[in-house]
Amino acid sequence: MKKFFTSALFKGLVWQVIGFFIGASLVTGIRALMGLSTTDTFFFTEPAWVLGSFIGAISFLVGCGVTDDWIKWARGIETHDEHEEHWHGWEKFINVSFDHKVIGIQYTLIALALLAIGGTFALIFRTELAASQLQFLTTEFQLFGQNGPQLYNTLMSLHGIVMIISILLGISGIINYAVPLLIGAADMSFPRLNAFSYWIAVPAAVTLISSLFLGGFDTGWTGYPPLSSRAPVGMQMFFMGVFIAGWSSILGALNVVVTVIRMRAKGMAAMKMPIFVWASLATSIIAMTATQFIGLAFQLVMFQRLFGMGFFDPSKGGNPVLFQHLFWFYSHPAVYVFILPGLGVISELLPVFVRKPLYGYRWIAMSSIGIALVGFVVWAHHMFTSGMNEYLRVPFMYSTLLVSVPTGVKFFSWVATMWKGKISTPTPMLFVLGAIIVFLMGGLSGPPHATVSTDLHLHDTYFVVGHFHDTIFGGFVFPFFAAIYYWFPKATGRRMSEFWGKVHFWLMTPSFFVLTFGMMYVGLLGMRRRIADYDPALGLDTAHLVLTIGAFLIALSVLIFFINFFYSIKNGEKAEGNIWESRSPEWQVPSPMSLHNYPTPIEVVGEPYDYGLKDAPYTRFAPASKGKGKH
Amino acid sequence: MSHSQNKSAALMQGVIIFIYLTALTILEYFVAVAFDAVPLLIVVAIAKAALVLYYFMHIYKLNETDSDTNHDSYAYKTITNRLGLWLFLLSDSFVFAGLLVMRSNLLGLTRPELNQVLGLGVTAVLLISSFFMNRGELLMAHGDVKGFMRNTVITFILGLGFLLGVVLLEWRIAAHEGLTADFGNPVTGPVGGVFYMMTGMHAFHVFTGLIFLAVVWNNARKGLYTAEQHWGVEAAAVYWHFVDLVWIFFYPALYLIGTAVSAH
Repeated sequence: MKKFFTSALFKGLVWQVIGFFIGASLVTGIRALMGLSTTDTFFFTEPAWVLGSFIGAISFLVGCGVTDDWIKWARGIETHDEHEEHWHGWEKFINVSFDHKVIGIQYTLIALALLAIGGTFALIFRTELAASQLQFLTTEFQLFGQNGPQLYNTLMSLHGIVMIISILLGISGIINYAVPLLIGAADMSFPRLNAFSYWIAVPAAVTLISSLFLGGFDTGWTGYPPLSSRAPVGMQMFFMGVFIAGWSSILGALNVVVTVIRMRAKGMAAMKMPIFVWASLATSIIAMTATQFIGLAFQLVMFQRLFGMGFFDPSKGGNPVLFQHLFWFYSHPAVYVFILPGLGVISELLPVFVRKPLYGYRWIAMSSIGIALVGFVVWAHHMFTSGMNEYLRVPFMYSTLLVSVPTGVKFFSWVATMWKGKISTPTPMLFVLGAIIVFLMGGLSGPPHATVSTDLHLHDTYFVVGHFHDTIFGGFVFPFFAAIYYWFPKATGRRMSEFWGKVHFWLMTPSFFVLTFGMMYVGLLGMRRRIADYDPALGLDTAHLVLTIGAFLIALSVLIFFINFFYSIKNGEKAEGNIWESRSPEWQVPSPMSLHNYPTPIEVVGEPYDYGLKDAPYTRFAPASKGKGKH
Repeated sequence: MSHSQNKSAALMQGVIIFIYLTALTILEYFVAVAFDAVPLLIVVAIAKAALVLYYFMHIYKLNETDSDTNHDSYAYKTITNRLGLWLFLLSDSFVFAGLLVMRSNLLGLTRPELNQVLGLGVTAVLLISSFFMNRGELLMAHGDVKGFMRNTVITFILGLGFLLGVVLLEWRIAAHEGLTADFGNPVTGPVGGVFYMMTGMHAFHVFTGLIFLAVVWNNARKGLYTAEQHWGVEAAAVYWHFVDLVWIFFYPALYLIGTAVSAH
């Protein structure tokens, strides 16, 4: 326990609290001098909460020590790259490390933690929906200054945004862990920035979840004004949390782009990169640029609330629809940020388990970039009913439908890769296959939303909810689990239980279909999304009960996964060799890998996915150069 | 001999580019006063931006190939760092692009009534600071640390002048004339919000740029930079010019385009 209290994580959290009180007291003091009110419902006034949470996040970063080296550089003191590990065992993950593998695991762990929190929120409000009328989140119910339906709204909104942050951190986890290994680099281009990108996500998550205790917010994860300009203080914590988490995404993505351009092994031309690297590059291009727009949109609402600026307030000449444009300019491409790495994982793992070359490598690589680029010009399809100019509808309808072309390319490639392959189905492959089918369902339920005439009916119904759960599960959750099962032995030298992995899959997949098809079904029959209750006369009680049971079974399967995950770290079956018989360079060395990855630099001499071809290796170890001693 | 010739040629180039930029700024101002031609203003702004990007920010350096392929060498790392910095600026420019989108959506062809003399004044101050920044970086590249420090001090003072001119003078005058942060109505649009948000976001970047300048000045004083190894100086200079670049678009957007609406 002593080790925990001296860890960077604990120090950071303490400093966050101290920083918060400094910021909040500063605002309160100034307000007292100006003769304004100094306390409010949640003790501090709203400006005090906002500045406090911002200074708290900065204090966390300085306090946990991730900025130490930069501060030294600014003062003109040289630092040296670490050559051996300071921490051992679990301590590595709660202390600052510049090793991309440790950071990747840190990301994955915080993503899993947020997944559990966001999932729990969903279970609570899903239970309330199991039958019509309010059962336990009633108007008499009081918690955190909110009554039952208000709490429902908060949990529903938080479920959305906590899951989104969890996904962003989850993809950063896989990318950080895998990309430098796949391109044969010793680390990312900017290891300190990489650590910073991770650690900034921790205060962001704390800030975000604190909104639950500060009156919550009832806007859904989109935070549209004018509702968001009136919601309780929790709204500001939501904006602030997402704003800070956005920096994690932006800086992490920047690092990935530079790493892929600058750190590839000798001989790794663009068209010889592993396909997952292409996907990471595509996703990073979006995350690096478009994220600024959601940050800006949220800042504008924050300032509107704090200073009375009238951006989205029609009585002051503002325009609420502008918020939606700024918001969706990021938030639609963001779904491609979520799914592109997942689709990359599918393309990366599929050839390993069918023992055949990846079909149409170039097309797959280009389709990732294509999705990313087309993704920039589709945002207004979220706004067909918003009252925006009508002439915008048709162009955005067609640009949206265009996305299905590069996505279709991927499906053709996956099917053609599997065609006549020697398919084996260990757990990672099961999740890859599950991902393809689930994502297909998500893809097929998409065009009805893209088409204006049908979207006008489907907008804001549960059909949309079913659609995006399909795309996000197919594009992120299933591949994420596949990637964890696949690279877990690389990270730990042990493998997760195959039996419990299969139980996880076979429990989750059918339950998931029950859940999302159920959602689409009730949606088509008129169930509105984001509401705490529905009319019993709709006759949806049975359907809701069934899909609530589905949701609980998914939760159970994820619980099994968690137990399997944490149990296997110490007690899993030893797996230090190339257990999947992969051609990829990271499997050619024993697991787990050492600090700077490869003992000698690797060199690309062949094609990445020539499975089944004899004597055609992808990489080899470069002959050891002279004069380079061990560290 | 040729070394010093290169140096004086480079310094001369900085002077010429500065004269071009000054001429374009004056042209811009009179175009706005005389014709109210928005497309022309945009063309002038793009021309100014191109000059700054090429001659002050040296965007062509992104095209440099590695002279040293050893990943641990200073030369290799500098090219990596340069790419990282430019990608950061690309990302940051989305913030400012978003602000310009907001401005054109909310205000269209109107703008806040502002003090034109002060506007032109702070614009000139920032432009001159960019000239000295460029001069300082050039001198550093030729190993003249003292010259670099001298020019950085001038840049810093001018930058501080810009910051104080906007935040202390311009904001105070605007607020005095009724243009407060919460000012706005369906006729004028939320001019107060747009004005303070845009100038505030830019001023914040100027502020961080000043910190950056102070840091590299201090490190130059400690003798950390040489003619061959001065990535910190280059980064600070490029960042400073970027802040100027943003103002090239913000100045016409706030002061010149459209008809002024008074807050009275």
